[in-house]
Amino acid sequence: MKGKVDRRKLLKLLGAGGFLLASRPALAQTSAQAEEALPSFTGPQANPYWNGVHPYAVYPQKLPLLRMTDRPVQLETPRHYFRTPFTPNEAFYVRYHLDEIPNEIDLSQWRLKLEGNFERPVELSFEDLIRKFKPVSIAAVNQCSGNSRSRFQPRVSGGQWGNGAMGNALWTGVRLKDLLDYAGVKPGTVQIQFEGLDRGKGPENLGSGRFIKSLDLDDPVIEETILAYLMNGEPLPMLNGFPVRLVVPGKFATYWLKHVTWIRALTEPDKNFWMATAYKVPDTPNGSTTPEAFASGQVKTVPIGHFNMPVRSFIIDPDGSYPLVAGLPAKIRGIAFSGHGKVVKVEVSTDNGQTWRPALLGPDYGKYSFRTFEYTWRPTEPGKHVLAVRATDEKGNVQPDSGVWNPGGYLWNKIERQEVVVLAAK
Amino acid sequence: MKKRWLIVAGLTLLGGVLAEVPGVVAGNWAQGPLGLILQPAPATPGGGTVYKVGAYPLYTAELADGEGKELVMSYCSICHSVTYITMQPPLANWKPTMDKMLKTYGGEKFIPPDVAEKILAYLQAHYTPETRKE
Repeated sequence: MKGKVDRRKLLKLLGAGGFLLASRPALAQTSAQAEEALPSFTGPQANPYWNGVHPYAVYPQKLPLLRMTDRPVQLETPRHYFRTPFTPNEAFYVRYHLDEIPNEIDLSQWRLKLEGNFERPVELSFEDLIRKFKPVSIAAVNQCSGNSRSRFQPRVSGGQWGNGAMGNALWTGVRLKDLLDYAGVKPGTVQIQFEGLDRGKGPENLGSGRFIKSLDLDDPVIEETILAYLMNGEPLPMLNGFPVRLVVPGKFATYWLKHVTWIRALTEPDKNFWMATAYKVPDTPNGSTTPEAFASGQVKTVPIGHFNMPVRSFIIDPDGSYPLVAGLPAKIRGIAFSGHGKVVKVEVSTDNGQTWRPALLGPDYGKYSFRTFEYTWRPTEPGKHVLAVRATDEKGNVQPDSGVWNPGGYLWNKIERQEVVVLAAK
Repeated sequence: MKKRWLIVAGLTLLGGVLAEVPGVVAGNWAQGPLGLILQPAPATPGGGTVYKVGAYPLYTAELADGEGKELVMSYCSICHSVTYITMQPPLANWKPTMDKMLKTYGGEKFIPPDVAEKILAYLQAHYTPETRKE
């Protein structure tokens, strides 16, 4: 915990030259450093840390990431990997629903199948996808619907993510529209359904057996959706969906299916568990409700695909683990994004949200990408300060200073804060 | 344990004594309990037309000791590791979660009602805001 000194350590210090330390102001800032672990869980209060409290673990093709669950595997990206606008593949978060996921795939046998209400149902090899279709690239943020779920009050069950269930990549692949045109969508088609290779031990007709999602054919996002075979210029890591995954810009990652193997044209709306029961949010402007209203059974819900990702921004540096120095410039840096369009403004507050100053925006990699920001602050007052950051997108959406609540733990986008300590230099 | 403390205190004292500049503390070391993460050996990415990553490692959390622990470990683990339990915030009432697992996800196909009751009792005994220890 920030601002606290471990009692044992204090005794140790007092026992050995404590007189030297008593006047050392840094003592007040002692945060959990490498010799102490975070608590193993948080709650019933909100998780106060930027990331979830999960331990580090190593997985194939990954740097040590934060292991939220091991089977099915869910890994969170540590905060410092968000210093760059593109998230490295080997640090990109992982979220599966089911545990029978591919360990190996033989490309000579794997085929992408377009079936259902098509003029010409087809099977395409990986080589077909690479050679027969024009590649396109788009920078887009992939964010889990439940990113930051551990902030909810009251807490809700589900994956207790901190802020690291997100990442930005340059995705390259085939336009979904090109594939649909290739097979010829027949009249009467209402949705396009996607299924990957993941399977579970549960009954096949339930969510524990298969993971399936669908997009409305008339949803404008169909035009921008791609089937990606490159992620930041490299084949996708297995845990991020090799050989191809769906990229649905602006939408939450639940639609970005991994290991996509079946694309089906449906003549009836998809009633499967993952559309009809799971990933539903209250049909209110920001998807929020109250525990009481929800318990009364009066809250109408809609699939989370009805929402684009709300605008968010994050302070990456300073992270509170080191002090700033009065009189010296401190760079406040981070990232922002919105599923509604380009981030046009990021504002920084150094007085806990009372006053705001515009930050300098980094390069524009497209409206669905992370956008970096930077603000140079020259603190003058020693002591504790609370930094805050809020972003505005081109549609005029601005982050609120209140948290949403819904039973699924979705759509969090409250203004982020970071406490820092400023040392006196005199 | 006591010996280690003495060594650390000794080193600290040494560091304190050696510091030539007032206000500087140096040479302070502590035994880190966080453990090492072993570096993985280089991967073989497959060959021919096969892309492979090998088996996925399991890092399953330890459950609290108590009556019903073995049932939880054997039945819940059919679909998911018990890390799913320790990962949750302490829940005052695990019944809705149990019902979701049994009915929504079809767990009742594997878990008899009397076992489900014992599993629920175990979760209430160890993973609520009042009962959760670690």
